[in-house]
Amino acid sequence: MGTDWNRVAVNAESRRSIYGMLTLVFREEPSEALINELRGPRLSGAFSEIDLELGDSFYNDPVSTVADQLALEFSHLFIGPGPHISPHESIFTEVDGGSGELWGTKTVEVKKFIETTGLGYASRFTGLPDHISVELEFMEKLTEWEAEKWMEMDRISAEYCLSIQRMFLQQHLLTWIPKFCNAVITQAATPFYREMAELTINFLELEQQSL
Amino acid sequence: MKKLNRRDFMKLTAGSGCAFAAGLGYSQSAFAGSLKLQAGGKDFSPTTGKERQAIPTACWQCVTRDSMIGYVEDGRLVKLEGHPDSIRTLGKLCAKGQAGINQVYFPDRILHPMKRAGKRGEHKWKRISWDEALDLIVSKLKPLRDAGTPELFMYQYGRHKASQGATMYDFMQAYGTGTIGNHTSVCEAAKWVGQESLWGGMYDNWDYDNTDYVVIFGSNQFETHTNHIPTSQRLIRAKVDRGVPLYVFDVRLTNTAAKADQWIPIKVGHDGLVMLAMCNVIMNEKLYRKDHFKFMRVSEDYKASVDEKIAAVKKNVANYTPEFAEKHSGVPADTIRKIARGFAKAKSACLVTYRGTVMHYHGADQERAAMLLSAITNNLDRPGGRVMGVGAGWKHPSSPKAKVHKSLDVKDGFPGEAAYPTHHVSHQVLPMIKDGNAGRPKVYWWSCYNPGFINGDNNELQSILKDESIMPFLITSTIVYDESSQYADLILPDVTYLERWDWEDMVSANQIAEFYIRQPLVKPLGESRCQGDVWPELAKRMGFELAYSSKEDFVRQSCEMTPGVREAGGFEYMKKHGVWHDPKAKPNYGFYETKVDVSGDGVILDEKTGVYWNWKKAGVNSEAEAKSQGYLGTKGAKKAYVAQNIDGTAYLAYPPNTKFVKAGYLDFYSDNFADKGFPAFPAYTPIPEHQKMADDELNLTTYKVAVHTHSRTAHCKWLTEIKHDNPGWINTKTAEARGIKNGDKIKVYNDMGEITTTAYVTEGIIPGVIAISHHLGRKHSGVYGSGQNSPIPGGAAADPDVKNIWWKKHGTHPNTIIPNSSDPISGTQRWMDTVVRVAKV
Amino acid sequence: MSDNNTPDINRRKFLSGVGTAAVGAAALATPRVSLEAAQSKAPRWAMVMDLRRCIGCRACTVACKSENNVSLGRFRAVIQEKTMGTFPNTKKEFLPLMCNHCEGNEKDGVPPCVKICPEYPGKRAKFKTADGKTIRYRTGATYKRPDGMILIDKEKCIGCGKCLDACPYGVRSFDPFVKAGGDPTKQAADKCDLCAHRVDNGVEPSCVNTCQGRARIFGDLNDPNSEVSKLVKEHNLAKADNVLLAEEGTNPHVFYIDPDNILKSLYTKRKKGKLDHFVDQIP
Repeated sequence: MGTDWNRVAVNAESRRSIYGMLTLVFREEPSEALINELRGPRLSGAFSEIDLELGDSFYNDPVSTVADQLALEFSHLFIGPGPHISPHESIFTEVDGGSGELWGTKTVEVKKFIETTGLGYASRFTGLPDHISVELEFMEKLTEWEAEKWMEMDRISAEYCLSIQRMFLQQHLLTWIPKFCNAVITQAATPFYREMAELTINFLELEQQSL
Repeated sequence: MKKLNRRDFMKLTAGSGCAFAAGLGYSQSAFAGSLKLQAGGKDFSPTTGKERQAIPTACWQCVTRDSMIGYVEDGRLVKLEGHPDSIRTLGKLCAKGQAGINQVYFPDRILHPMKRAGKRGEHKWKRISWDEALDLIVSKLKPLRDAGTPELFMYQYGRHKASQGATMYDFMQAYGTGTIGNHTSVCEAAKWVGQESLWGGMYDNWDYDNTDYVVIFGSNQFETHTNHIPTSQRLIRAKVDRGVPLYVFDVRLTNTAAKADQWIPIKVGHDGLVMLAMCNVIMNEKLYRKDHFKFMRVSEDYKASVDEKIAAVKKNVANYTPEFAEKHSGVPADTIRKIARGFAKAKSACLVTYRGTVMHYHGADQERAAMLLSAITNNLDRPGGRVMGVGAGWKHPSSPKAKVHKSLDVKDGFPGEAAYPTHHVSHQVLPMIKDGNAGRPKVYWWSCYNPGFINGDNNELQSILKDESIMPFLITSTIVYDESSQYADLILPDVTYLERWDWEDMVSANQIAEFYIRQPLVKPLGESRCQGDVWPELAKRMGFELAYSSKEDFVRQSCEMTPGVREAGGFEYMKKHGVWHDPKAKPNYGFYETKVDVSGDGVILDEKTGVYWNWKKAGVNSEAEAKSQGYLGTKGAKKAYVAQNIDGTAYLAYPPNTKFVKAGYLDFYSDNFADKGFPAFPAYTPIPEHQKMADDELNLTTYKVAVHTHSRTAHCKWLTEIKHDNPGWINTKTAEARGIKNGDKIKVYNDMGEITTTAYVTEGIIPGVIAISHHLGRKHSGVYGSGQNSPIPGGAAADPDVKNIWWKKHGTHPNTIIPNSSDPISGTQRWMDTVVRVAKV
Repeated sequence: MSDNNTPDINRRKFLSGVGTAAVGAAALATPRVSLEAAQSKAPRWAMVMDLRRCIGCRACTVACKSENNVSLGRFRAVIQEKTMGTFPNTKKEFLPLMCNHCEGNEKDGVPPCVKICPEYPGKRAKFKTADGKTIRYRTGATYKRPDGMILIDKEKCIGCGKCLDACPYGVRSFDPFVKAGGDPTKQAADKCDLCAHRVDNGVEPSCVNTCQGRARIFGDLNDPNSEVSKLVKEHNLAKADNVLLAEEGTNPHVFYIDPDNILKSLYTKRKKGKLDHFVDQIP
């Protein structure tokens, strides 16, 4: 049975685009351009098909107002000052002997994992190596590479990449991001982060089932 | 939303593909390089071996600033230990130093510039980039500078020392503002003012390695001290190894008092009186040593003979008999006699004072009594005695100064409040700004400082910050959200001391200067940035250049400029070794005995005082003018001081170097004091508030414990676990009279208001006093520091160790019922003069 | 100051490559422990606490927390303090406590925590002495190494908690972050291990390293020239008055120099089933 190279490549590329979008959502405060894209016709249609409700004001308020509100919410949820939901794996994972502090055992594990694949951290990147958006971006990079390999009809490399994705998902993303997202769901004041957190959980579940 | 299925997924990707691919990308990708995956090789296995580094650096939990070694594993700081090669610390580190790791990794740390979004105090914040933050600051500061009003930018710091202070001052001078506040008046200003009036300089060290006798007043050396680790280990060693007697006068049975031969309880504010009574005993029993008298001035007469001086001292302390002192201080006359004799007869002796002695009405004069006792027994700057501290003298680069340089007069207290505020009156800065008569800054920036917590009447100070009509723009650099930063308009994420460069210079305990540096152990977390890196950037944006491009550059240049360090190998040597001292240096004693050549051009002898001075450096036009005005009558004279003529020999003696114009003598008779209506000779001056106390009123005193600084450690979990509640120490009898039992809930109150705590009923405190430590009762300071009191509901509980917080109490803050009130001599905050009532709740 | 006994930073780096997690920060600190000692015997590690020198500063308590990342709510090392007497003749004393690394009673040489451990005696293990000889000993979840250290093997621990009760000094607790390897539904027991990861690399324990009063002296009792041996001899410490709860027959190896009889007047024993005597607090 021949492989539909294009189909598997598209599948990887699709997964890549979702990882990419979620990276954008959790990396920093959404820009006006991103908000415009999210409420543009193609995505809003897809969102309503899956009952992902971002609320009327997200769609109707001036984009600068929405950006301002989301920036506040982003700070409130993920940065502080004061108690917040620190979006780092080491905070969310209890490790023997470690107490879930910033730059914990898990941070180092993630960093080493990523560095073993040949990627390094950009010098101007000021976040921690196990920030949620870093882990999502890493998956984005892996799926991109996987898609390329399928297109090159290099099954061995593509499947090898898939095995690494599985490993990273199981060892890292799946161990904490659902927990983190559930915390966001309870704390978020606007629908945007609540729904995005739910989408993230759902997507990771799907990943778990299909990989 | 519903669960995703395959079909939904494909639809979503079509859309999100657009969002992602629409050229948005990330403004900042986390990664560099590209994937290099090799299929078919060995199994993919991320490395697990740890990389370990040992990096010499320096502590900053308190001002002692011990040298240490940081151990870093895979980029995470895992342990701090004392630097074994340090001649100051001998490789030791205290509890606070050991907990330094908590400073970097506590869960509530501020890691991004934050701009206020709601009203002040509403706790609404928006993250902004450093670029935006710097632009915002420049938009406030540049117009002030351009308009010729740089003084309307005020900067106030809590802990800035060495290169942290030097870079800040350098920037401020280049910018043009002299409106720079500090925090010394809440610390120990009176002690320095008292010393400056005598030996010109300040910072005493005690030569425990050589001493034969130690008497401590109001200082808790074994728990906390400005030079804790270097001095306390030497003191306990002297005590145990050499059997050196140790007597401790304190209101409370501190750990220091506990290890003494005898704890001598003393009533609040009577340290100086007991010292004068000791002088009385020593003079009357002829136990004094003549040696130092020739360097002392004890009456108006500059030319008195040693015998005349001895007679004058005897006369001046004649009223302070041990019996008189007993009546007021509660210290038995016999005890005073015993310790006075022991002190005077010992080959050498240290007289130690600190906050308990000087944070009072006429606190500066109490310190003068301590100097008197040391001088008449010849224990000033002699081996084994009270010596002048020796620290590293670094050279450093300086930037061109601004053309316009001005200050607002808000640093030295209200008019008439303090006669000699040589260390400023920091606790009155915000009240003066509110008052407005001396002007108000338009921009107020505070750093490593929490004015709304650490000063007296701290709630009122918070309300001054909160009121936007008083100061329109507030900036703070901090690592933690606290009682003051909650009202800022812009919060800058500061680095911790474990992430930055500095050279350091704290005093040695062995009279040999140690040069040492602090270097980053880990990359600054998040977007935190060292202020020494911010100054050059701000300068550039305002159109001027500094002499250094970063804090690291400043430290590098300093290492290459500083004699000794330079020859040892400069910056590279210091990075590798952390500490340096001159191996040939001898301990520095007896500077006052240095003989000086007075044959230089312009040097003349002032007949009245016996001072040799160089009129060419005094800002006068001619020798004749200098002579007609005389040394004391010339404004710039103290800069021109050369030597003191004593019995025909020109000695360096004790040169003036602060606001005190004085001759080269130890001015135990001080014209400076007499002119302002203060006792010319050290005296006992009762504290006004204590003279009119009702029978049921008590003195309130505050203190520190071994595991906390005043305001910068509450978020350190290992410290707060050990000390998170601060009950009021109260004597059994005092408690009984109020029906109070150990553990009872009590209120402590006066006109200022009321605080509640529990009673710690103990035999370890003098009756008539309640003592409450002053670092707790935090409203903000992360989850470890303030527990559930934080205003923003959220998820700090995600830190697994937060689940293990077992303490429910977070203490109380006594400063809320202590007024801001100054010693009229020095401007020191009178922490220990407060009067309260205590009742069971 | 830099005499030959204090190696420079560089020399201290020699261990940086060794770098298992277990070595801890430790390895690079000043080695003050002579490990060459005892020729064909194992060392017998012991601690002397010189109570004259303890100033109650808590540097040891926090250094231990940091070295071993001890979770909140429990300690491996604490100071007890007590105010005694009547004003103005009041005294306050300090008493540092830790695991006593008991030798066990004279009959079988097995301390109570080891004896009670359901996993003891387990397989035999080998201990290598400095001169290369091998000493065989019995392992367990709690076991005594031939050098006298009482250690916990968290992989073997079943979290039954019997050792917590059996220790008369109450120095053991459950580590909320480490699961018992033998029964992952439970947490593993934890206590002072004399910083074995440091000592095995020639470095003194963290609490000793930071003790500014030099009240803690660590070393090998089997080496007659060690400071601990000399102190034990000089102060005649090998008697009941100088250890905690001698009557329990546990033969503790933490000795106190105690001219003021602080042990008798100050030591607060554990209450049965409780561990709150082992929480360090400053009043």
